[in-house]
Amino acid sequence: MILRTQGWASRGRIKASALLLGGFVATLALIAAGCGGDDSGSSASGTTTGASSSGKPCNASIGVLTVLTGAAGPQGREMLHWAQLAVDQFNQANGTDIKVVEGDDQLDPAQAATVAQEWASNPKIVAVVGPESDGTVDSAGPILGKAGLAMVSSTATSSRLTDGKYPTFYRVIPPDSLQGSQDAQYMIDTLKVKKVFVIDDQSAYSKGIADVVVPKLKDAGVDVSTDSVSQNNTDYSALVSKVSDDTDVVFLPWMLAANAQLFGDQMSEQGKKAAIFGSDGVFSPQDFHVNGSYLSTFSPDIQSDPKYADLVKEFEDKYGQFGAFGLTTYPATQVVLDAVKKACDDGDSTPAIDAVAENVKNTNIQDSVLGQPIEFESNGEMKNAKFYVYTIKNGKYVIAPS
Amino acid sequence: MDFFIQQLVNGLTLGSLYALLALGYSIVYGVLGLLNFAQGEVYMVGAFIGFGVLSGLGGPTALVMPVPIALVLMFAAAALGSGVLSVAIERVAFKPLRDASRIAPLITALGVSVFLQNAVLLLLGPDIRNYDASSFIPFTSGIHVGPLNVSLIRIIVIVTTVAVMVMLTLWVGRSKLGRSMRAVSYDREAAQMIGVDVDRTIMIAFFVGGVLAGIAGVMAGLVFSRVFQLMGFVAGLKAFTGAVIGGIGSIPGAMLGGMLVGLAESFTAAYISSTFQNVIVFAVLVVMMVVRPTGLLGRPAVGKV
Amino acid sequence: MSIGSDRWVETAESRTEGRRGWWGRGMRHWNSLPPLGRLGSLVALAALVPVVVSSDFLVRVGVNGMLLALLAVGLNVSVGWAGLLDLGFVAFYGFGAYTFALLSSDQLGIHLPTLLAVPIVILATGILGLVLGLPSWRLSGDYLAIVTLFFSQIFLELTLNFDRLGVDLTGGPNGISGVDPFSFLGFEFSSPTSYFYLLLVLIALIVTMLYLVDRSRTGRAWRALRDDPLAAEIMTVPIRRLKLMAFATGAAIAGLAGSLFASFQLGVYPLNFQIQFLIVIYAALILGGSGSLAGAVAGGIVVTLVLDLLRDPAQASAAFYGLIAVTLIAKVRPWRTLAAVVGATVALGFVVHVVVGAIWPDAVAGEVQATGVFGSAIQSWVVLPEDPTTIGNWAFCALVVGVIALTRVSARTRTILLVPLLYLAAFVWENRLVDEPSITRQLLLGVLLIVMMLSRPHGLLGTRRVERV
Repeated sequence: MILRTQGWASRGRIKASALLLGGFVATLALIAAGCGGDDSGSSASGTTTGASSSGKPCNASIGVLTVLTGAAGPQGREMLHWAQLAVDQFNQANGTDIKVVEGDDQLDPAQAATVAQEWASNPKIVAVVGPESDGTVDSAGPILGKAGLAMVSSTATSSRLTDGKYPTFYRVIPPDSLQGSQDAQYMIDTLKVKKVFVIDDQSAYSKGIADVVVPKLKDAGVDVSTDSVSQNNTDYSALVSKVSDDTDVVFLPWMLAANAQLFGDQMSEQGKKAAIFGSDGVFSPQDFHVNGSYLSTFSPDIQSDPKYADLVKEFEDKYGQFGAFGLTTYPATQVVLDAVKKACDDGDSTPAIDAVAENVKNTNIQDSVLGQPIEFESNGEMKNAKFYVYTIKNGKYVIAPS
Repeated sequence: MDFFIQQLVNGLTLGSLYALLALGYSIVYGVLGLLNFAQGEVYMVGAFIGFGVLSGLGGPTALVMPVPIALVLMFAAAALGSGVLSVAIERVAFKPLRDASRIAPLITALGVSVFLQNAVLLLLGPDIRNYDASSFIPFTSGIHVGPLNVSLIRIIVIVTTVAVMVMLTLWVGRSKLGRSMRAVSYDREAAQMIGVDVDRTIMIAFFVGGVLAGIAGVMAGLVFSRVFQLMGFVAGLKAFTGAVIGGIGSIPGAMLGGMLVGLAESFTAAYISSTFQNVIVFAVLVVMMVVRPTGLLGRPAVGKV
Repeated sequence: MSIGSDRWVETAESRTEGRRGWWGRGMRHWNSLPPLGRLGSLVALAALVPVVVSSDFLVRVGVNGMLLALLAVGLNVSVGWAGLLDLGFVAFYGFGAYTFALLSSDQLGIHLPTLLAVPIVILATGILGLVLGLPSWRLSGDYLAIVTLFFSQIFLELTLNFDRLGVDLTGGPNGISGVDPFSFLGFEFSSPTSYFYLLLVLIALIVTMLYLVDRSRTGRAWRALRDDPLAAEIMTVPIRRLKLMAFATGAAIAGLAGSLFASFQLGVYPLNFQIQFLIVIYAALILGGSGSLAGAVAGGIVVTLVLDLLRDPAQASAAFYGLIAVTLIAKVRPWRTLAAVVGATVALGFVVHVVVGAIWPDAVAGEVQATGVFGSAIQSWVVLPEDPTTIGNWAFCALVVGVIALTRVSARTRTILLVPLLYLAAFVWENRLVDEPSITRQLLLGVLLIVMMLSRPHGLLGTRRVERV
């Protein structure tokens, strides 16, 4: 038999425990009180080069708020890398000293709010790239807005975000309503579909697009069936077998291209003939290459464009191969960087948050990887945002005929 | 009818994976009375090891040796690696808690699971790895009868699982080690008193569980192509469902339960709804637990006072 | 079986009571205060925080910490007091949050006043707890854990997909935004500071209430149930009713926390209630001490502080080194040995740095995250390669192996092994972990759970328990 001590009475806290706890709390309290959240914005990466002769020295930090761990971590990290690349290039070209502060919200709105609050209390952070999803914009938006911080998102596509609730919110990609409606139009006009199977992946992004596509297709007399599958699901065999032989297109507005690739593989395994139509989340030359598929995206494929060969190489050298999720963070960061530098040039070496926000509002970048100039409407949407439809021939992405 | 058979095959493939994992859960629960939450992560590591071997052998498109040998190597490496990992986890995290309360090892298992997931994330990065099995085992091989399509990959998975299960049943039923495991699962103290090396038996149980998880991991890579850090959690949960439905602690029960869960998942997704397939499967489990807590083939629990 | 063990149990209390020195005296004074006095002084201390601290961010961290503390207290009723492993606890939290959101937003068009909505939420969640507790009648510990786990998975899936069933009750993946903030007695709670004080008052009330319950017959019956269900049943303790009560109470508290959370965040989303958060709640309870009210609260606050303050690399580094220092002080005795270990580590570090720097200049060219004097000290102490990823990974593996080995060797070898291991830990920290704050937080949680269970299962403030096996 084994006996261990039991203290029935709750007196006499053991010294070691109290010491440990006290030490713990004391250390943390010291850090919290002493640092108080307004430490210098430390950079998570990127070498800062010395000031070159052009321009005033510009010393600021920008926050990049996205999902860095968890299921969507890889996508978020890609976004972060594109932001870091933009900052590094900008610093090198302009002699500025702008740093990136990364914030991980794990796609959890509660965490996004906490990070946003931290940044709002930190005067060194003058603008934010992100948040990355609708839920995180909803929770971080009011906090960032209250602090006057401009936020430029590269991936949050819900149409309701530009309703006016977040006056400092901007985005460099079109909303779901636009992508959904253009995709549906393409299917009706160009692909002349009779029967479509729409499967969403239970994310807000996916459902947002599906909710626009389905009624539009139905209105045009197309036979539409719908279903959904969780992103955590690893097997689509059952779903694939539900694809009937007379289905023209399987519409997959999914976030994860690799999932769509598996779906495509299992479709060919079961001999299904329908074509896959994916939204911009699926657009990823690395991960998705099912021949005969269609993909919509809001930036042209820079990996096959010789104009951007250097940029592609620079990214790949530093961070490895990339899909399509992170690319839009590059122009989003450029918008912020331009605004920060302009505030520096107009004022002193540490720009004011309001000045930066004002500059974001008046952004006018003529040329970007999005294939068009960047200017914002008054509600934060990008002006004249376009969509491109690609198709895959022999494993390569080519612009689809319209 | 062909649709039905297609779902049957899909369900059996999934069920094979779950059955192997469920066996691991059951064996460990049998000897130790412990729910090993870390089993899902061991499975994930096995899948990654298999991928490592695959890359080392030239990758999916340029294998330097014949496919069967490559497959055997992948399975062997994953089985060994996962087995060793499982034993290591047992030695470090569970052995010291063998006489502690019921809750302690469960919490430790949770901790180990979180740690493993993130250690792999740290060391190997967040990118998904692709087995791309169709490159070296093309879809055109296999059975294609009319609208029914069963690729060779699935056949390999199902056949291997059945073989493993048969071997395991024989081994546990006949060998000395198998008898020790059964003895320990009935009554640990009594087994010790009659001279069974309990420590070693438990270690072997964990090793076997790890081997099974490793094999299942490679299978997952072959069937689903994608290998990523979080694959262990949901698969572990479902396999666990299977182990419990079949009767935790019972080896044939685990096999049956795992297969049932796979079939249930497939048929639910195909005939009812893919959206709610998890909800329905879990709800079935809950009902099962309340109606017959010991599972289909489990021993009714008799508490000795 | 050991002789004289009963005597040992008897004298346990006096062994812990006889501490000398100013610490012992302080503790005895503290313990001689009436419980209300102890609680009152802690509350007064906490109330000063928003006044002293200047940034809204820290107040928000405080709010998060108290929410977690409240959750840990609720979980403590099921797990710590009644011994029922509830792995679906996060679903109660979510249910409370969603119910409040439904009653106070545009989703169903209902905007109940707070004082009406919150009691409804508490009641509803309590009833849910009762219902979920029903399987506990027939199921023992492990099985109950499984059932509750699956309930929470079902809940999560439903919140994500309910809108496909016809009635949009949950907003699907978009969640429900535009939830009303708390407002009663004419005052609308909109700032973190107001929520801070509200939570402080609520926690004080609930802790007091539970303390009284703990000392009552119900509390004793729960303890009996936890320690030996069979004996309790024989002694005519109404086990079934007690299990249900434990579940219901825990659920009700979680429901209250959920409504606070929904109004604080001004919205609820499915992603708020993932299984990762359940692990955080458990970590808080385990760290603080399962079975102890003070422990649950302390655990909640400490875990939140650690997780949220670790976002900033400089703060995280300070916390990391501080934590190592505290552990060393607590575990390495006598003081001479401690001084020797620390001295040797520092010396080893400098030597290695100089030697490596001489041979491969690239190996020390990296940058350190911490700033100021401390930072430059670290810079010249730790080897920081230009490209630390690969070697950092190998070092991480070596560190894990080393820590495991540490637990296996004899005391003398252990002290010697500690020196290079400490340096290795600093190396891994500066080169890998500090660059990946999100992964490091999770790693830390996992390690925390394991280490706590292995070395101190009763947590920081819990009391050791005897089990007759």
